[in-house]
Amino acid sequence: MATYLLRRLLLGCVTLVAITVVVYGLARSMPGNPLTAQLGEDPSRKVSAADYERMQRAYGLDRSWPEGYLQWAGNLLRGDLGRSITRKQPVTTLIGERLGPTLLVSGTAFLLIWMLAIPLGLYASARAGTVDERGVSLVLYALYSFPTFVAALLLQIVFSVWSKGTAWELPLFGMTSLPPDAPLAARIVDVARHMILPVVCQTYVSLAYDTRFIRATMAEAVRQDYIRTARAKGAGPWRVLVRHAFRNTLIPLVTLLGLSLPALVGGSIIIEQIFTWPGMGRLFFESIRERDYPTIMGLTLMFSVLTLLGQLLADLLYSAVDPRVSVE
Amino acid sequence: MPLFLPRHPHGPAGWRCLLAAGVAVAVVGCGRSEKPRLVAEPESPAAPVMPPEPGPAAPAEATFLPPSLADLDRDAKWIDRPVKQGLAVLREQQAKEPVLASVAEALALRNDSPEANAKILSALGRLPEPGAADSSARLDRHVTGDLSSTNPILISSSAEFDILGLTGFGLFSFDRALEPFASAETVVSWQTSADGLYDRIVMRDDLVWSDGTPITAHDIAFTYRVIMDPRVPVPAVRSGTDQLKGVHAYDDHTLVFFHKEPLATNIWNINFPVLPRHIYASTWEEDPTLKDSPEHVALEEKPVCGGPYEILARKRGQEIVLRRRDNWSTFQGKVVREPPYFRDVRFRIIEDPNTALLALKSGEIDEMILQPEQWTTQTVDDGFYELNTKATAPEWVSFHFAWNIDEPFFADRRVRRAMSYAFDHDRMLEKICLGLYQPCAGNFPPGSWMAGTKPLVPYKQDLDKAETLLDEAGWSDHDNDGIRDKEIDGQLVPFEFTMLVNQQPFRIAICTLLKENLEQIGVIVNVRPVEVTALQEMMQKRTFQACLSGWGSGTDPDTSENIWKTGEMRNYSGYSNPEVDRLFAEGRRELDRSRRGEKYARIQEILYDDQPYTWLFWRNSFYGFSKSLRGYVFSPRGPFHYSPGSGSLWKPRAE
Amino acid sequence: MAAVDGFWGQAWRRYRRRPLAMAALLFVVGLAAVAVLAPAIAGTKPVVCRYKGRLYAPCLAYFDRRLEPAIFAKDKFRGSYPRNLAAKDPQSWAIWPLVFQDPYRAVRADEWPGRPENPAMDKGVPSRAHPFGTDQAGVDVFAKMVHGTTVALLVGFVSMGIAGTIGIVVGALGGYCGGWVDALTSRITEIVMCVPTLVLILAIMAIIEKPTIWHTMAIIGFTGWTGIARLTRGEFLRLKGAEYVTAARAAGAGPVRIMLRHILPNALAPILVPITFGIAAAILVESGLSFLGFGSPPPTASWGSILNGARSNLGMWWLVVFPGVAIFLTVLAYNLVGEGLQEATDPRLREARK
Repeated sequence: MATYLLRRLLLGCVTLVAITVVVYGLARSMPGNPLTAQLGEDPSRKVSAADYERMQRAYGLDRSWPEGYLQWAGNLLRGDLGRSITRKQPVTTLIGERLGPTLLVSGTAFLLIWMLAIPLGLYASARAGTVDERGVSLVLYALYSFPTFVAALLLQIVFSVWSKGTAWELPLFGMTSLPPDAPLAARIVDVARHMILPVVCQTYVSLAYDTRFIRATMAEAVRQDYIRTARAKGAGPWRVLVRHAFRNTLIPLVTLLGLSLPALVGGSIIIEQIFTWPGMGRLFFESIRERDYPTIMGLTLMFSVLTLLGQLLADLLYSAVDPRVSVE
Repeated sequence: MPLFLPRHPHGPAGWRCLLAAGVAVAVVGCGRSEKPRLVAEPESPAAPVMPPEPGPAAPAEATFLPPSLADLDRDAKWIDRPVKQGLAVLREQQAKEPVLASVAEALALRNDSPEANAKILSALGRLPEPGAADSSARLDRHVTGDLSSTNPILISSSAEFDILGLTGFGLFSFDRALEPFASAETVVSWQTSADGLYDRIVMRDDLVWSDGTPITAHDIAFTYRVIMDPRVPVPAVRSGTDQLKGVHAYDDHTLVFFHKEPLATNIWNINFPVLPRHIYASTWEEDPTLKDSPEHVALEEKPVCGGPYEILARKRGQEIVLRRRDNWSTFQGKVVREPPYFRDVRFRIIEDPNTALLALKSGEIDEMILQPEQWTTQTVDDGFYELNTKATAPEWVSFHFAWNIDEPFFADRRVRRAMSYAFDHDRMLEKICLGLYQPCAGNFPPGSWMAGTKPLVPYKQDLDKAETLLDEAGWSDHDNDGIRDKEIDGQLVPFEFTMLVNQQPFRIAICTLLKENLEQIGVIVNVRPVEVTALQEMMQKRTFQACLSGWGSGTDPDTSENIWKTGEMRNYSGYSNPEVDRLFAEGRRELDRSRRGEKYARIQEILYDDQPYTWLFWRNSFYGFSKSLRGYVFSPRGPFHYSPGSGSLWKPRAE
Repeated sequence: MAAVDGFWGQAWRRYRRRPLAMAALLFVVGLAAVAVLAPAIAGTKPVVCRYKGRLYAPCLAYFDRRLEPAIFAKDKFRGSYPRNLAAKDPQSWAIWPLVFQDPYRAVRADEWPGRPENPAMDKGVPSRAHPFGTDQAGVDVFAKMVHGTTVALLVGFVSMGIAGTIGIVVGALGGYCGGWVDALTSRITEIVMCVPTLVLILAIMAIIEKPTIWHTMAIIGFTGWTGIARLTRGEFLRLKGAEYVTAARAAGAGPVRIMLRHILPNALAPILVPITFGIAAAILVESGLSFLGFGSPPPTASWGSILNGARSNLGMWWLVVFPGVAIFLTVLAYNLVGEGLQEATDPRLREARK
């Protein structure tokens, strides 16, 4: 086991190097650079060629991308993720500021989704083909097709505008309304209230997918021979499902969970923009638009590490969940 | 990366991310305000703001030896220049304007016609009678993006300009008519030498920074040195300070600016934001980026401000709160300046325009810029008028198709004019611009002093004329495939080109209208929406055939030189005309206003004949205002980016 | 008899017996028919016309601009057929599409004799003249939906075809072979997973002058396979130890046959889910990409672009409802097909039916 882990960690480092090289190269190939946007707009801002060169040097843009990459990697090994070109703050500060709020929404949504999807999926596979199940599936597909920005706006209208002044009222946007010196309990409640609408928007989207996924894998599992055996032995339908079939769907489920780990810190840019939620999605999107290479690299690194960890975790869990499977 | 389905099961959130990437940029529009990216940032709001451009070619202060003040005073033959107070100027102007409606009437009106608009502005835009303003009120303003810096010389975004307008210290400003003056709140006297080479300022002695230290002329000279130092990476580059020979503080309150040449544009060069010397003198040389060292980072959170307001609190990505400074209006116990009306000004960050409109409707913000669609359809019902009203005024922002003259298609003037004739301008104005914008025929705003007395006639669609011009220029359908072509270098080249545009649906609609029009006469256009920064890059490198973009007029017509002079940086068209170059150079030197105006009028005529752009429309600014807000006055740069700008806003005391 | 039909033949017969799955399949086939016949269903160009003695089919121009007969440009039709045909050749006749509306532009006043101009903005509410309403520019939404079906189907199937193929192959190899093959395929999967798609797209824009819809499909396909690969790998890991696999190997079957014939049909369940959802999701991803400059240049007629148009003015509910319902039906149909496929190919059921 230990050798396996060690091997995976080493391979992981190699993979990370490959990823960061590719991403850095692609990022530098994107048309435009951090200066492009800043220089474009105002005709009264004249830039001499000498000035332009000076600014390029200041931002490290005059170096070719392999050189730039090596410098970034060198700084990284010293623990320095660099400084955002457009925001002027250290990349770690930027990410740190946004990580908490993103996890709040994605984490809560994640828990909610799985708390809902597993029972729903089991229910759907138990009553497969019945009118109830078809009805539930239809509702879920409808939710899946419901565009996020429409849902967000409708929720805002219902809960912030129409419910204004009532107990149902929820904040329209933002993360907090209280100053930082307010009492902790009040601040927690405040953030919770601000979180509700973004979490709902993020939850309903994935619900259909995950429920259907569980149902599909369950449908596969219940057709196995051992299920027939269990039924023949007189086990009731729920017992069959939960005790026997479900465990055998755990491999795909674990895969799914491993794939979801990086999404926890990814955030959803539409939801963040509509609700002005200070999340990673916005940061990522804006840093690409601004060609803010240090931030792009910092975010990519973080996502990649989490992705690799997610896959490693999934692989390890495979053996735990199904003794027949061994990845070593 | 969670941007795509179905690489992982939470893909449904994933692909919506990518969709958002497209939609968000399109609708939210470049993440900033709805202004096109190419709109000029304001020259100078209530407090002068001009991030200077460090010029390595310019001599540093150290090598510049100023003459003694006595010598200067003896030789210069000083001419007095206006020193005014922004609010007083506005009050005078308003006193001469007729009152078209009472406040009660205006509040009950719906803004559905130009007359209603005029009444609303006339009644609700008035400055308060003494004591009428609620001095403990809070103003909730709307911005679409967060600050990236609170340092006055590092600002670049419109949110930063808005905030610096309230917290920054400056000597100069300009009024509604874009006429510059020295601010009576900070300046005692302003004089220019007869030969135009020196500007002499005597500052007031009752100014203090927010930490209590007096503001002196040395702060300004110090800032000039910092700006000009090549190690300081100032992002928002402006021409200006590199045109100065030097800035010297003779004592705590006397300052002289030394110009290289006697130009009409000199006044804009001496207008730059000011850093507190007592704070930065010890820190800037160790950390010329002004951002890295712990001291500088702390200053970002709580900068030392020289303007009427200081930054009280910042919630990153959410809001910035400013509070009125008592030591701005009082000095040693006496009231020396009129305090600003609001005690607090809160800038609330809301990126999404739909959310912002909901916030306005429910009273969470007091003002916002309205998109044209919002103006026409979403702000017309009772729900909106319950708490809000709206107003509009022309703005000096114009849009155009830019033709790359180095392309074989557009080298010939006849072809460019054919494009202008082919486009259905009326339909654009009526259907896409919803009847809200004025047609634009040329470079300078009609009615301004630089546009001349003879108005240019905007183009109207005339497909026959367009076809004739194209035939004359040699573009006709030689191979009978329905598309015009021309033999160039032995090859038959079809008239098919790509029009680049940024991702806003409004602009894409204008380009597709052109596509429709040109297809009727055998010219094929491929409209290509391009991501914002990539578009900027292509325009700057001139790797485009045609594109749709816009410019905001600067305060001085000389700022257009950067667009039209041969080889200049923003001459994206590649236009070159020695006469235009000459006229710009002369215009800069001409100090007499009417003669200067003639030159620019002549430039405009030449450009109109040559049609390097097909000019489309002048944009209005549209704002929604809370009914509790008064004092909004529009200038050609909107209601805020001039003096007094947001300083004229007030809320009435509750009865 | 059953022994003679191949595996897929039997699967098809079983599939046919399920009414819902057949209905869904018919729906998809119907969509394909609409996509192919789109210019005949909605358009402003005649399907077939006789002009100056010759037959033309101008409606084909909706598929490719170059197919527009040149004579109409020469005769200065300026894109407007009804009046010009009659005016310039009294003996001309034309068979018109079912609905005279254009997916790319608003129909002008009196373009079709007696008909007023298309309403725009808020006035575009669904009405008798425009059952699905019109968008802000006045373009008929029904015409856009009809012509958008082509994009919806094409992008969905092609990109998911690519993604599915790559994903299944990579995942199967990794899961079944294990060892260094698995290590290699897993690393490749991880690399592709971690490269941000937006960065990739913008970088590609620097190289490709005119990204077309085929580039879009390629991008969605070549970046979207990683989840499928991981799921496939998981399934193959789990199933490679099954008894029937050992039996098949003992009987001398090669690895490819084992993977395709024995393991894959049992592994389909979790793989089909991302594929079926992906086909529907590709519709919206495509419109996001077309905003970034990929795909067909504007004016675009696709369901996603109608939806995007609603974003600035949600009062125009018809811009949300109609494409939303279409997407919902598509998601439903594909998932039903997927379910049907899963059950039809399940070897267990095959035995049970015997």
